[in-house]
Amino acid sequence: MPDAPSRVERVLNLLALLLDTRRALTREEIVHDVAGYPPQITAYRRAFERDKETLRGMGVPLTTETIGDGSELGYRVRPEDYYLPDLGLDAEESAALRVAVSAVSLGSHAGEGALLKLGGLADEAVAPIASLPIAPALATLFEAFRARAVVRFTHRDRVRTVEPWGLSSKRGHWYVVGFDRDRDAVRAFRADRIDGDVELGPADAFETPPGFRPDDHVESRAWLLGDDAPVTVRLRIDANHLDTMLAEVGADAIVDEDAPDAVGTTGPGAIVEMAVTNRAAFRSFVLGFLDHAEVLEPPDIRADVVAWLERVAAGVGTADS
Amino acid sequence: MSPRALAGPEIQRILALVPWVVAHPGSSKSEIALRFGITVEQLEEDLALVLMIGVPPYSPGDYLDVEEDEAGHVSIRLAEYFQRPLRLTPAEGLALLAAGRALLAVPGSDPGGPLATALTKLEEALELPGLVVDVGEPDRLAPIRAAVAARERVEIDYWSAGRDELTTRRIDPEVVFFATGEWYVGAYCHRARDERMFRVDRIRSVTPTGETFEPGATGFETGDVYTPRADDTRVILELAPAAAWVTEAYPTEAVTERGDGSLEIVLAVSEQAWLERLLLRLGPDARAVAPSSVERLAPDAARRILGRYRDTGAGGSSADGGTARGSSTEPGSGGPEPRRPDTRARGRA
Repeated sequence: MPDAPSRVERVLNLLALLLDTRRALTREEIVHDVAGYPPQITAYRRAFERDKETLRGMGVPLTTETIGDGSELGYRVRPEDYYLPDLGLDAEESAALRVAVSAVSLGSHAGEGALLKLGGLADEAVAPIASLPIAPALATLFEAFRARAVVRFTHRDRVRTVEPWGLSSKRGHWYVVGFDRDRDAVRAFRADRIDGDVELGPADAFETPPGFRPDDHVESRAWLLGDDAPVTVRLRIDANHLDTMLAEVGADAIVDEDAPDAVGTTGPGAIVEMAVTNRAAFRSFVLGFLDHAEVLEPPDIRADVVAWLERVAAGVGTADS
Repeated sequence: MSPRALAGPEIQRILALVPWVVAHPGSSKSEIALRFGITVEQLEEDLALVLMIGVPPYSPGDYLDVEEDEAGHVSIRLAEYFQRPLRLTPAEGLALLAAGRALLAVPGSDPGGPLATALTKLEEALELPGLVVDVGEPDRLAPIRAAVAARERVEIDYWSAGRDELTTRRIDPEVVFFATGEWYVGAYCHRARDERMFRVDRIRSVTPTGETFEPGATGFETGDVYTPRADDTRVILELAPAAAWVTEAYPTEAVTERGDGSLEIVLAVSEQAWLERLLLRLGPDARAVAPSSVERLAPDAARRILGRYRDTGAGGSSADGGTARGSSTEPGSGGPEPRRPDTRARGRA
């Protein structure tokens, strides 16, 4: 007597049957035809449930429909939903995708899974050039973005209802950008700060404005991520730290490189003006330059920084004070 | 491990392998095995299994047929229902596009080359939405990458944020990569006589030396930006609940939660200025308690900075010691983050 079919063999035969059939099949028809299901009703029902779960977990579009007089459930896989369309990639294009998957580390094996379906992995490993870890929520957000489904998620302890208009990565972080229905405005959310599951609404629920560019709405400068009244801050930076500061502040900073030397500085300096809408984040930014930077104006922000430093200087800061 | 956990990858591999062999009849077993990341023995097991797949009424002509010639060339027939691979899952589609768009964003990539056309085909055929990836381009990235490619020794002016000092050093740049939102170069540093990691945006100048070098056996890896060393100072910090993000942002070696919600943590610190910055931005939400050498670090740094404010008249300093508003912020992705030290030894010289 031959060995009982393995589970892999049973699932592959189940899938072959569901793809090949012209009509939906009942569970009883399926377990009768496909070798490897146990004879007892509770056992084969459990085994069938498990196999369905395995197929769906791999992304097989297994559909359920009522058949006959409507009292029975039938199962099938529609080939048009199952098959990967021919992408028409030439050999160079396939090779380029293989290199990309090897060179960019995303912290998952999904890229390799995709390559297998596209005809195989890279011949040899390529030295990694970039690491952009993908948060678990991102695949669901990507699906919602593709299907134009509204999403609900918890981001920094607040529930958001968002039309996902785009996904974007900046400075190593992934963002979902879209229309926040509660705030009635376009907002960007860091995907790694989403807690728990992302809930998807029905498909085709909105239209993304033509030409929408998600990256235009991603602000990675923390001092511009706040609701404080906008203010222009003037500060002095030592000349040999100006490049570092400008790389952070960005092109919209106004610079006067010929600022006269200030008392108490170690050398020549420059004056930089920058917009701020989050004062606490600005304070962290400017303190990062230690004694190479000094806030000049406005007086209240300068006073804030001084007061903060005085508390630290006095050793006031303790967790239990 | 449950059979369920084992079944998935094997089924997925067979579902990918069958359509490929159907489309490429007469391929050698070694080529197929290489493409699908398995051994020839594993492939032979997979092919034996393929022979068992069929549809009702399960007469001989209803099973997949595997043919193999004496030279080990394989063909699969009668697999109409498996002639195309399974569509990509959202995670797989995302991974391909994300990796492709990230590599295209690396300065110097060909915006009209095979990768770009492949991604366009992928987006169109699968109706996938576009992604926008920005990995930035610090000023010295191009000369540093050129030096890596040419194995050229260079002299750099480098601002070490961890020590807050500007130094000039000769380096043998071995590898360049983007991780935690920044570009890094891993190099042998002749000044330190050891391997070091440098942030490219903190390199102020790159001067060729006219010398080349032989690449050493380096262990630089993408994302491997800081690993605490055994001889790094272990610092104990008290953190208010508002500063709890520190334990997630930096590799914290121990956390003790106290009754009032405050934390006592142990951090490995190799560069003093890095710890100064962290404590300054945390302000009243943190205190360094041990070792004794770090207790005065933040107050001393604060006094040093205050010196600048007291010596100038601009804006008028509030010497009356007003109360600071707000509390320390979570690290944004911008700003000179108090990242882990940007230079560090990799192994001991």
